[in-house]
Amino acid sequence: MRGFEYASPTTKEQAVSLLGSSDDDAMALAGGTDLLSLMKDDIVAPRRLVNLKDVAELRGIRLLPDGSLRIGALVTVQELLDNAIVKRGYASLIHAADGITSPQIRAMGTVGGDLCQRPRCWYYRAGFGLLAKDKDGAALVPEGDNRYHAILGNTGPAYFVNPSSLAPALIALGAKLHIFGSGGQVEMNLENFFAAPTSANEKEYRLKPNEIVTEIIVPSAGGWKNATYEVRQKESLDWPLAAASVALKMSGKTIESARVVLGHVAPVPWRSGEAQAYLAGKTISEQVAETAGTLAVARASAMSHNGYKIQLARVAVKRAIMKAAQGGQR
Amino acid sequence: MAVGQNVLRKEGVEKLTGAARYIDDIALEGMLYGKTIRSPLARGLIKSISFDTDFDWSPITVCDWRDIPGENFVALIENDQPLLVARDVRHAEEPILLIAAESRTLVEEAASRIRIEYEELTPVLSIEESLDCREIIYGDDNVFKRFLIARGEVDEGINQGDLIIEGCYRVPHQEQLYIEPQGMIAIPTDTGMTVLGSMQCPYYVHKALKQLFNLSDEQAVVIQTMTGGGFGGKEEYPSMIACHAALLAHKAQRPVKIIYDRAEDIAATTKRHPGVIRHRTAVTRDGRLTASEIDIVLDGGAYVTLTPVVLSRAAIHALGPYRCENVRITARAVATNTPPNGAFRGFGAPQVAFAYEMQMEKIALRLGIDPLELRRINMLKEGDITATGQQLRWSVGSEDVLNAAVERSHFREKQEAIQIERASGDSRKRRGVGLSFFFHGAGFTGSGEAKMKARAGIEITDQGRARVLSSSTEIGQGTQTIFCQIVADELGIGFDDVEIEETDTSRVPDSGPTVASRTCMVVGRVIQLAAREIKEKIKRFAAELFGAPEIDLMEGRFVEGGKVLASFAEVAREYAAQNGKLKVESQYASPMGVEWDDDSYSGDAYPAFSWGAEVAEVEVDMDTFEVSVLKITTAQDIGRAIHPLLAAGQIEGGTLQAVGYGLTEELVWDQGRIVNRMLTNYIIPTSMDAPDMETVIVEKEYPHGPFGAKGVGELPMDGAAPAIAAAVLNATGAFVSEIPVTPERLMMIHEGTRRESNED
Amino acid sequence: MKIEFEINNTRREVDSPPMRRLLDVLREDLRLTGTKEGCGEGECGACSVIVNGEVINSCLVPVCQTAGASITTVEGLAKDGRLDPLQQAFLECGGAQCGICTPGMLIAARALLDINSQPTRDEIKEAIAGNLCRCTGYVKIIDAIEKAALDP
Repeated sequence: MRGFEYASPTTKEQAVSLLGSSDDDAMALAGGTDLLSLMKDDIVAPRRLVNLKDVAELRGIRLLPDGSLRIGALVTVQELLDNAIVKRGYASLIHAADGITSPQIRAMGTVGGDLCQRPRCWYYRAGFGLLAKDKDGAALVPEGDNRYHAILGNTGPAYFVNPSSLAPALIALGAKLHIFGSGGQVEMNLENFFAAPTSANEKEYRLKPNEIVTEIIVPSAGGWKNATYEVRQKESLDWPLAAASVALKMSGKTIESARVVLGHVAPVPWRSGEAQAYLAGKTISEQVAETAGTLAVARASAMSHNGYKIQLARVAVKRAIMKAAQGGQR
Repeated sequence: MAVGQNVLRKEGVEKLTGAARYIDDIALEGMLYGKTIRSPLARGLIKSISFDTDFDWSPITVCDWRDIPGENFVALIENDQPLLVARDVRHAEEPILLIAAESRTLVEEAASRIRIEYEELTPVLSIEESLDCREIIYGDDNVFKRFLIARGEVDEGINQGDLIIEGCYRVPHQEQLYIEPQGMIAIPTDTGMTVLGSMQCPYYVHKALKQLFNLSDEQAVVIQTMTGGGFGGKEEYPSMIACHAALLAHKAQRPVKIIYDRAEDIAATTKRHPGVIRHRTAVTRDGRLTASEIDIVLDGGAYVTLTPVVLSRAAIHALGPYRCENVRITARAVATNTPPNGAFRGFGAPQVAFAYEMQMEKIALRLGIDPLELRRINMLKEGDITATGQQLRWSVGSEDVLNAAVERSHFREKQEAIQIERASGDSRKRRGVGLSFFFHGAGFTGSGEAKMKARAGIEITDQGRARVLSSSTEIGQGTQTIFCQIVADELGIGFDDVEIEETDTSRVPDSGPTVASRTCMVVGRVIQLAAREIKEKIKRFAAELFGAPEIDLMEGRFVEGGKVLASFAEVAREYAAQNGKLKVESQYASPMGVEWDDDSYSGDAYPAFSWGAEVAEVEVDMDTFEVSVLKITTAQDIGRAIHPLLAAGQIEGGTLQAVGYGLTEELVWDQGRIVNRMLTNYIIPTSMDAPDMETVIVEKEYPHGPFGAKGVGELPMDGAAPAIAAAVLNATGAFVSEIPVTPERLMMIHEGTRRESNED
Repeated sequence: MKIEFEINNTRREVDSPPMRRLLDVLREDLRLTGTKEGCGEGECGACSVIVNGEVINSCLVPVCQTAGASITTVEGLAKDGRLDPLQQAFLECGGAQCGICTPGMLIAARALLDINSQPTRDEIKEAIAGNLCRCTGYVKIIDAIEKAALDP
């Protein structure tokens, strides 16, 4: 880790003015759980860190007049888990946050930080870059150890999976993101926030170096059954092998419309149009859930070592649907 | 009495209050921080090393191989592993340069200003590549060491069998993952060098330091600081770090501290040897083994280090705790261009245990015999003869542990319940129950202990307390506590009146390394003998002092005829005043009749074996192939448990480490480098992953151990992986011949099995 | 940068670059070496301390973020020379072996018992899920926390 300067603004305007035109200039610091590791391993080396901790307007969870929920970017995972409104209406978000089992990470990690954490791809973390290329520019992942890599949207050049625990649930719930930059505030569908990078100097999300995520707006989930299901190799600490989050707009026993988002299977949280289209108009049953799962991975393709993830993703979708149907109990 | 009681551990309070000083907690005046510059390449030649001329190198101490005063080797079995590469790089992360500076930031900055150019050579990265000999990297055929164990007539045995069953089993690298990373501080002294650090074997480090600087025994001083776990990982590698710190300290003439960070520790230090083990077993229809041929190949990594000893233990344990008259075990360890593999709890035995137990499962499956029944038919019992021709004369708890594990776990009832559940429908979550049966030789193999002649002693302090003098280290397992218990009871004083001398080579004799489940059984015995001698001496003195020939020492008091004459401390002080310090040193001698022949590799491989049986219950998600271990019941015969609570702690901890070995722990390699060098991607079990555990300690006393004790350290590492794999087989029908049983691997096997059965 | 906080009920002030890890400030500047570094990545929990009632990994917290905070480290558990009930229970139940994870474990357990005085075994497992131990298999640690909750 190199020496760097440090700033601690108290408003988002100040924060943005302290950020620069590239990550080398400055980066925003929220909970620090990912950024400090990245700095320690020299994956990133900003000259200035802008601590967001004292920007009070980035905190807090509250209901907005239109019934939607506003979650400040600095809300911690633990605050999310403890929030009565979230617990009441947004089971899928609770399921997703519950998957982060380390109490320390729950206490420190923030919602905004979860969305902006960098991929866990071991090649990336070992210094081979986001697109994981060797010194001759050849991609390491397709023939390397890709057991945890993408099965969807994996035609390259990005092969990592999006690491966010909360994004699939938030996208399925129709969340929007407020981004604040020098040009003021922009609202964006969370889904559009993520994009697979096409070159080494792009990131996996659309946030300019001088912008910050300020809040997440989640529409009321009234009438929506929702749940998240994660498949993991181990209970604590690590990231799931595959996850799926669903939100089902119900009309009596019939699914009026559905949102199905898979996590940890593609460089972005993966919205499955196929499963969504199929589910519309159906009554929930094991068979329907099974078919939705199968459709969700219909376009998946395995690399050398990750074929098993297709099955995991399929099952995650099926189980998320069944879990939502049962009222989304944990 | 202290033995058999759960007294409070000696160093407990300091560990609980944060007062205990581990190596990284120590900061010395004028101390520099050292760093190792390593090769990113697995194999190559160093062409040039350049130092950025724009950087101010004056505050940086730099050492390369030319700074080594003695020979450029880490002293171990063979002198083949250099301390610093001169030209030939033989594995990734091999040390090339050492640098030190006053701050960590400066040392990192300096490291980034060094450029090393290499000529790349084709590396040998797997057992298969090593055996095919396209590239020769060691000797004529890449083989470090071979062993052959032969007994009876294998061909005849095969003819006696009704069926021949073959199996090939693969086991992976495993990282020790002690939570305290490796670290050392070297301090140059007027006469030589003092090294402090985290280690299991102070006298290994001592030997390496002496060789490095041509020092005498007294000039090199090694002190073990509080050590945050070892598991074998701090057996041989600390010698390397100590020598590195000492080289820098010698050149700078200032203390130098080297602490590895987690990534460096995972990437560069030793691992458990991976291996391929093939079994070919002849059995009769009623389940008796008539012949067994076993071939073991272990990957030793780039240098010999301890590999021959690991291979030897693997070979000796390869048949498992089973009777078979006709045996042929061939074992080879081969060289690869990967960091040397080394000591890790179990030391070759967990590898072969997975293979022999899965082979038993396979035999049971093929014969249609219940797996428990098959074990009962073939198990070694007292009087039986092992593969090396050792007759088991004492302390054989084989039947006891198997019965205890089966009863406590309700193995039979669980088997039945699972059968009924299975018949009543195809649940997507399937339960399974599996068994393993295993043994582990305590102490060094063969003539090892006889040659080592472990020494340990006791002295009586000025305060009239007994102080234990031994180089056996406390690494969490409870050495200090059990030694004090043994002395207290043998001598006849209270546990609180016994203390432990600091593990400092200038103050304690060489008790041999703290490895091989030998600390309690072997060194504990030496200490018991020393206590016995002290007692004789002081009793004789007290008898004369008080004119009381029938005097005895009990619970710290000299008594005769029910009358207390004096306290131990009073008599001890009087003794010192008249005769000087009372101090006794004892030495290990093999029990009578324990004999081993190194040439034919036969005889009494170990003075005693510890025995274990384990039942694992798992639940497998048949869609995602996640395996949850719900419960492990284990019964282990460790002889007399000096401290039952500590012994149970060893068993539980070792069992969970073995659960990791069986289920999640795997290293990912890229061109000879470890890719998953973080705790986020090298996955060890957490509290949420740990199964419920029930531990039964069986105490078949060993007549030549202290109060009947045997070894406990390694046995718990042997049983969980095969028990889990057997339970997975029971749950899914998928036969696992390679660990860890990841969802990915299990899914593949299951698909394959299903296809096969469809084709049938 | 001057940073003031309360450590183990004592007000302290340190002068440190703001981005230094809280862990380093504790260990190097304040010589509170009971808090350990096992991985430096927030995975092992050996560096756990309580900040304003919550357990965090001090290896991931820049010291500047703790200005004004109230911090408890393992050194603050025993009071007036008397062990905390958790420390006593760890001692009696065999909850500490090599001892390197112990300070972090005690801190995670303390934070649990402060908000939940009668936890179930499952709740205990969840509370220490961010603290790795390689020696014990967790059984005796969970036993100890359970015991401390029963006789505080």
